[in-house]
Amino acid sequence: MTTTQQPSLAWLDDVTMTELERNPYPVYERLRAEAPLAFVPVLGAYVASTAEICREVATSDSFEAIIPPAGGRTFGHPAIIGVNGDVHADLRSMVEPALQPMEVDRYVDDLVRPIARTYLEKFEDAGKAELVADFCEPVSVRSLGDLLGLESVDSETLRRWFAQLNRSFTNAAVDENGEFANPEGFVEGDQAKAEIRAVVDPLIDEWITNPGDSAISHWLHDGMPEGETRDRDYIYPTIYVYLLGAMQEPGHGAASTLAGLFTKPEQLEEVVDDPTLIPRAVSEGMRWTSPIWSATARISKEPVTLAGHDLPAGTVILQSYGSANHDTGLYDAPSEFDLHRPPLPHLAFGAGNHACAGIYYANHVMRIALEELLEAIPNLERDTSEDVEFWGWGFRGPTTLHATWEV
Amino acid sequence: MPRVSVGSSSVEAPPGQSVLESLLRAGVWMPSSCNQGTCGTCKVTVLSGSVDHRDSPLETLPAEQRDAGLALACQSHPTCDVEVTPAGPTSARAGEARTHPLRDLTATITGIEDVARDTRKVLLALPEPLAFSAGQCVELEVPRTGERRQFSLANTATEDRVLELHVRLVEGGAATERWLFADAACGDEVRVTGPLGDFRAPEPEADDGGPMVLLGGGTGLAPLLGIVRTALERHPDREAVLYHGVRHAADLYDRERLVDLENRFAGFRFVPVLSREETRAYRTGYVTEAFLADVSSARGWTGWLCGSPALFESGAAAFKRRRMAPRLIHREKFTAAPATSSLTSPLTSTGA
Repeated sequence: MTTTQQPSLAWLDDVTMTELERNPYPVYERLRAEAPLAFVPVLGAYVASTAEICREVATSDSFEAIIPPAGGRTFGHPAIIGVNGDVHADLRSMVEPALQPMEVDRYVDDLVRPIARTYLEKFEDAGKAELVADFCEPVSVRSLGDLLGLESVDSETLRRWFAQLNRSFTNAAVDENGEFANPEGFVEGDQAKAEIRAVVDPLIDEWITNPGDSAISHWLHDGMPEGETRDRDYIYPTIYVYLLGAMQEPGHGAASTLAGLFTKPEQLEEVVDDPTLIPRAVSEGMRWTSPIWSATARISKEPVTLAGHDLPAGTVILQSYGSANHDTGLYDAPSEFDLHRPPLPHLAFGAGNHACAGIYYANHVMRIALEELLEAIPNLERDTSEDVEFWGWGFRGPTTLHATWEV
Repeated sequence: MPRVSVGSSSVEAPPGQSVLESLLRAGVWMPSSCNQGTCGTCKVTVLSGSVDHRDSPLETLPAEQRDAGLALACQSHPTCDVEVTPAGPTSARAGEARTHPLRDLTATITGIEDVARDTRKVLLALPEPLAFSAGQCVELEVPRTGERRQFSLANTATEDRVLELHVRLVEGGAATERWLFADAACGDEVRVTGPLGDFRAPEPEADDGGPMVLLGGGTGLAPLLGIVRTALERHPDREAVLYHGVRHAADLYDRERLVDLENRFAGFRFVPVLSREETRAYRTGYVTEAFLADVSSARGWTGWLCGSPALFESGAAAFKRRRMAPRLIHREKFTAAPATSSLTSPLTSTGA
């Protein structure tokens, strides 16, 4: 692959996936300052790192969606995040009814609150917990699992699936020929998909003949002529999108919000005292550590000039929303969690016609989870004997979050 | 220029700015996410005035919702002054308190009694009953000064003819040293405005009879007397503990009344606590320490705090330490300089 890399950006040649996954912020901070649109060799693609360029690319008519290569290798075609035109319109019309605000308002409290209570009851009297594995992730996967019709799949399995799909989706490193540098990294994603098909195929068989009220049953039937259903191979890539991103990210978002609040105990106290501040805390948590950090992409449909670069048609740009949300042009001290920063819109859910379809749902899952947690444990504190580590470049969040409280 | 109001905030809405943008640019938080009309997070109910929906998508805001007064804050532009409130489930609160109309009455002083050191009980007879909730307060016009002062009511809602106030002497105070502890006398008329405040007993349907703890400092006992008596009459078997914190034994009052309540209600306990005096008769320390020593878990309890800012802070911290849900913690903060008379709403609060 040939590039027009400026010599001053030679440092980008040394950037590794491991470095990005451990902490992408230093590299992207330098990118925003030196080259807000730059070709990053290890990713084999251009990277947009500022809010302005990400927003422009997301909403430009000269670009359309494309799934990042490792994502395409993992999910297959047609995944809702990587298609355009009629197929995209059909897939959006398939998933959106259950995610419309009025519909979410109808079910979300009854769905999520009992689930949050169930997990809380397991540890609320223990005086300590690891909130990622004990609470944030299980509440997220159980809520969405039940909504999709996967009640029979236990939460541990759903968590393992999204983790395997995540690592496969973000196995993005390419060699000098643009080939995947670590093809063995896709194996665990393929294993997860095989397991998913073994579990979901029989459910689909059942829903084809006996439609139910689960989301996947609706995906099969809604908008189809009488007696016909959408082909399962047509909807599986979007099922994988859900089983990765939609399962994982409300857990990441809730955990990041808590991790952020733990950095400002007086702000945690404010939120505990006034739970109506929880949506604002979640919004700041999503900005501070955006769960979908760099997992979506666009491709130019025609030659286009962007940020001083003349790009040919077919140029892939990776959208770095996690970086855009730390843009010092918009945010003072962006690496600080601050409940009271000016509440500007952020890009954590993307923008344009591929903006996350589950924004409203996800925000309310996180809200209810945190309401229940802080109601049950108003004296929650970070366990300072344990470190908080974040991981991930494509998807990012705390790997663990140890907390203690007096019982 | 039109203005946009939400809750207690009101901002200017310059031409070309959406309702959401005007609020966010002025630093006023409003739930929002996509900012392009597709997610519905910023949906609001327009309480007054009107908006132009502009590019609001029908998928997110169907016609029937527009007709019902809903709007997308990120897409709509005000066409005149508008007042909005978030429409999501966060704004719907079960058991929301009812508002009693704010009224101006002329009361007559029918009792002034010294009940403890520097502490008086004042009774005000009303020309007609006043509707209020136990725990609320009224504002008195201090004669000859034009100043107004708020005092909590010790009454239950059925004791609506004669208001009972507990007043502590404030050195140089216009309402106390120079009036209620000076020349105020039975038969004097007093202008009263009320009821005020959101420190109040819950509505009966929102009161499940669960356990409760009340911490009062000094004359902060007054609203707690109204609240605890209301709670016990509703649910005679409930568990309730009232801690009254004062500096010295000479500051205690209403013990007979509280001991009588203990005798009538088996689940009720009254605990006086002295912070500056050690005696055999009473516990020593602060009410929050006494609570922490006595109650190992306050999960599912409701808590009521009335007193100094210090009691307010330490009490809330103690309640949370015993895992009381913060939404069940009710607070009334006494401040030395009461609010002046800028009354616009019956919900104007002297508390938090």
